[in-house]
Amino acid sequence: MKRFKTTKGLIGIVLLLAIALIAILGPMIIPPEASTAMDMHARRSPPTLIHLFGTDQLGRDLMFRVILGARTSLEIAVSAVVMSVVLGLPLGLISGYFGGLTDNVLMRLVDTLLAFPALLLALTISAVLGPNLQNTIIAIGVAFTPYLARIIRGEALRVAQMPYVEAARSSGTTDIMIMGRHVLPNILPAVIVQGTISLAFAILAEAGLSFLGLGTQPPAASWGLMIQASRDQLDIAPWTAIVPGLAVALTVLGLNMFGDVLRDILDPRAK
Amino acid sequence: MKDIVSVDHLRVEFATDSGPVVGVEDVSFTIAPGETLCVVGESGSGKSVTSLSLMRLVEFGGGAITAGALNFVRADGSTLDVAAAPPEIMGQVRGNEIGMIFQEPMTALNPVFTIERQLTDGLMLHKGLNQPAATARALELLRSVRIPEPERRLKQYPHELSGGMRQRVVIAMAMACEPKLLIADEPTTALDVTIQAEILALINRLKRENGMAVLFITHDMAVVAQMADRVVVMYRGKIVETGTVQQIFEAPREDYTKSLLAAVPKLGEMKGKAAPERMRLIGDEAARATQTAPEPREPQVLLEVRNLTTRFPVKGGILRRTVAQVHAVEDVSFTLNVGETLALVGESGCGKSSCGRSILRLIEPASGEVWIAGRDIGALNRRDLRRARADMQMVFQDPFASLNPYRRLKAQVAEPLQNFGLASGAELEARVLQLFDKVQLPRDFMNRFPHELSGGQRQRVAIARALAVNPKLIVADEAVSALDVSVQAQVLNLMMDLQEDLGLSYLFISHDIAVVERVAHHVGVMYLGRIVEIGPRAAVFDNPTHPYTRSLLSAVPIADPRNRRFADDLNFKPITSPIFPLGHQPAPSLYDQIAPAHYVLRA
Amino acid sequence: MTLPAGQYRPAGSPHAGLPMTYILNRLLSVTLTLFLITLVTFAVTNILPGDVAMMIMGTQSNPEALTGLRESLGLNDPLLVQYGHWVGGMVSGNWGDSLIFKKPILGLLGQKIVASAIIVVLSMAIALALAVPLGVWAAVHRDKWQDNVSSSAALLGVSLPDFFWGIVMILVFARWLGWFPSSGFVEPSVDPLGALQRAFLPSLALGLGLMAHLTRMTRSTMTGILSQEFIRVARAKGLAERTVIWRYALANAIGPVITIAGLQIGYLFGSIIVMESLFGYTGMGWLTYQALLNRDLPLIQDTVFVIAAVVMLTNLAVDLLYVVIDPRIRLG
Repeated sequence: MKRFKTTKGLIGIVLLLAIALIAILGPMIIPPEASTAMDMHARRSPPTLIHLFGTDQLGRDLMFRVILGARTSLEIAVSAVVMSVVLGLPLGLISGYFGGLTDNVLMRLVDTLLAFPALLLALTISAVLGPNLQNTIIAIGVAFTPYLARIIRGEALRVAQMPYVEAARSSGTTDIMIMGRHVLPNILPAVIVQGTISLAFAILAEAGLSFLGLGTQPPAASWGLMIQASRDQLDIAPWTAIVPGLAVALTVLGLNMFGDVLRDILDPRAK
Repeated sequence: MKDIVSVDHLRVEFATDSGPVVGVEDVSFTIAPGETLCVVGESGSGKSVTSLSLMRLVEFGGGAITAGALNFVRADGSTLDVAAAPPEIMGQVRGNEIGMIFQEPMTALNPVFTIERQLTDGLMLHKGLNQPAATARALELLRSVRIPEPERRLKQYPHELSGGMRQRVVIAMAMACEPKLLIADEPTTALDVTIQAEILALINRLKRENGMAVLFITHDMAVVAQMADRVVVMYRGKIVETGTVQQIFEAPREDYTKSLLAAVPKLGEMKGKAAPERMRLIGDEAARATQTAPEPREPQVLLEVRNLTTRFPVKGGILRRTVAQVHAVEDVSFTLNVGETLALVGESGCGKSSCGRSILRLIEPASGEVWIAGRDIGALNRRDLRRARADMQMVFQDPFASLNPYRRLKAQVAEPLQNFGLASGAELEARVLQLFDKVQLPRDFMNRFPHELSGGQRQRVAIARALAVNPKLIVADEAVSALDVSVQAQVLNLMMDLQEDLGLSYLFISHDIAVVERVAHHVGVMYLGRIVEIGPRAAVFDNPTHPYTRSLLSAVPIADPRNRRFADDLNFKPITSPIFPLGHQPAPSLYDQIAPAHYVLRA
Repeated sequence: MTLPAGQYRPAGSPHAGLPMTYILNRLLSVTLTLFLITLVTFAVTNILPGDVAMMIMGTQSNPEALTGLRESLGLNDPLLVQYGHWVGGMVSGNWGDSLIFKKPILGLLGQKIVASAIIVVLSMAIALALAVPLGVWAAVHRDKWQDNVSSSAALLGVSLPDFFWGIVMILVFARWLGWFPSSGFVEPSVDPLGALQRAFLPSLALGLGLMAHLTRMTRSTMTGILSQEFIRVARAKGLAERTVIWRYALANAIGPVITIAGLQIGYLFGSIIVMESLFGYTGMGWLTYQALLNRDLPLIQDTVFVIAAVVMLTNLAVDLLYVVIDPRIRLG
């Protein structure tokens, strides 16, 4: 059993490291032209020795595009999750620690926001702001914030009721100090776990947004965009969908595996 | 007569990530028909593993019986080795020939099924009864465990019943098929003392009426003394000693048994003694003279509480408006002298914890005054209150939750000192060292994290943290309740030493009346938010006057097999709800003085 | 201060029916939330930076047309007035006209919401039918190979974007096997079987992703329940393991699982935007997408509002269902 979990965690970490390396190093090694160069003799070429992952309808090499897409996807996902944590952490912390009226008002707002499907909210924000890379980040970041705030609030509420917080208060520790020394360190594991899982959702959301044309815009390479482009040629060139789909799947799988193991390690209640 | 159970060299192992771990080994004992065998031990002794093995339930917890035999004489007279029995046979034995009851009555019943369904399914399975016959039998069972309004209970769900009633239902379930053996695994540990007394009396009566054998698992020597015919003492998975209850209590052979018995306070043993006494600990006599004559001290009031009242809102509706109030503390007044201990005793929900927290203003009281060392705590603003907290500290019940798992112990003990700017740098370090010495913890523990310590050690750290700012008052809220009895005795002795050395005053909040008898100078008995009786310890224990004090004292099990109290059916008055509608004006607490400093609430 | 759960509850069993005050409270709460939903919708679509008229017509459009559009949409009014117009219109049944479809929005919505309801219900049914047995199976064989297999499959399921499942469905079932039409929508009242056929593939694609999630949730809920004392008590009664798991334990798990499934309704209403567009299935998701793509502001506002309101009301329904299922839930 432990072996299964260790293996799962190891696979997750290896996957993530590999993808992160590709996303960071890939664009440095591969000349930017390589991904936009059109091989007119090999349009919709299946995987061959020249084009390992095949080519798309314009004869562009799918391997190069998937590597460049990794960077776009990860950049958007990481920035969006960082944004939602930065917004959601103070909101949830204050709400959960102080409770009372502040909590009632803030959580009523968060509950309202939760009635909006995250993807719908992100699509709408992106459409209103005008779709581009930066606005995609904002759209996903804002859409995820209520979820983060809810979870962090629950954790803060739990920790705020622990005897060690009461002990700190009864020995004259100020609220700010209690939040910093006692509450924050104890909710951090849950935030990290939730952040990892949110990253997986953010990757999926970015792919969905771009797939609908309301995320990353061409000619930038993005996994969602690549899958969209493959729609009209599924019969004749299924690899144009499978290659970017697999890229999304492996990244999200890596994040989920890592997140599961992280949860087991960091969050004893989930055991 | 032939033994109904004979366990022979039982060995149980648990599969873990780091290989098999032995749960119990070389355990052998027998139970005769109609006999109560108590298996007693502290946490981790393997007593529960033993009982679960007899039902072959240990397998569901990842354990396996790897050696030994568990012979059980079945209803038809044949002998079955439970260790080797196939699942179908075990299905016939469980619940039919062996009944079992567990520790947690709050979770032992399936929350989404009615009482009727849970009582009848075993009957229909084992006895082949149809639904009406099973329901009739279920009703009969509820009557036999003396549940009020049994017809109504059948249609109710578990959450509609109190903890005591639920445990009666669990017992009724175990008794449904008239088993020849009842296994009771810590059946009263989670219950209040009066309900414990009722349940123990009930088990005794059922055993007598049905000629059934009982295997009773407990950690509580006082309960053993009350219940057992014979006793098995276990320690770390092995049997230490076996004997009749008289042998074990009056002539224990093994050191472990002796130390276990020594640490148990015996209600009534303080009769005629004026001052509290340290707990007995084997091998610890030399540490300090048992009886240091208390210096006659001019009584000087440290804490004075006047008409303290605390209420909690019960919220309801969309706007979360207050719809009712819990009257947690109701018009409570008392004084506590410098260097003395006042114990507040009572059952769960009586308001003793809320009272302690209200005094420290960890919760805000609704009205009343609290004076500590001549200062009105209730009138302080936020800033002054923070400063005043140096005078009053608290030690909490749960040693696992009262320390921040992510901070080194050094930092946690130093925190109060830093808060008040009392020390910094090298001086801070030195002060923390002193504190660790004071609570008798090795100095190198300073750099450890809480999870590296045992429960008793953590509680010492919590005490060190409370002592850091040289407080005058310590509120100890069930501070030793979660500890094993020998560790409990050590921590209590430490607290008494500190009181003597530092002149500390304790507000000692506890449900354990035998402990309170040993450590308290004064005792206040709480019931439904009020103090119903308060006075010097000797006066309250020797001359309990309020009816609630009397029933409470009569329900405490005494660690002496010659003084048994739970033979006949007991029925204490159930505690009513402290919830009242908004605007309810309760009567003030008025007291009769029946002896010097001994007050009893007027009815 | 910790009150033992359920100890101080007011008299009266929930089975006596939902008390009037409870229903009134819930209605009041629903109204308040609906009001907040209109605020959020309006804020997201109007307060964000950017000229709405230009957003609709594009930056190259001529100034007169822009002015005309501003006038007709009331964009020159103060925001509060615009908001008042919008909410007032909805309350009085005048939901305005769609710019791209040139039709009253209310009629459009009524038609499309039925189409999407088919997909949402169907995919939820598929997901639950598969996830509950699988999750229970994994929990019963916790930490054994069965658990690992089921966990791995579920993990893989949650890791693939659901539109990827959609593409696979189209390829396999529509193009290669030809069992189902790959796209389109017909009115259920015209051709019920055809409507179901066309809803099936998108529902299956959505259901598979959802199933993976619900399997994980069922497993963890069941694992928690199986470790509780009343399960041990049931075994000690001699009940067969079958009964213990499929009656005693599952009866307790069904409430939490339904709650979790209910929360996924929101996720489904997000996913149908992608899935309906992929399958050319003209429901709410498709309509929302068209509105967003063409910057049809009145339609965007109304669809976003309606979806949020439907999600909120479904969650409310699930809450009420829970009260019926679980005798422990305290009302009020």
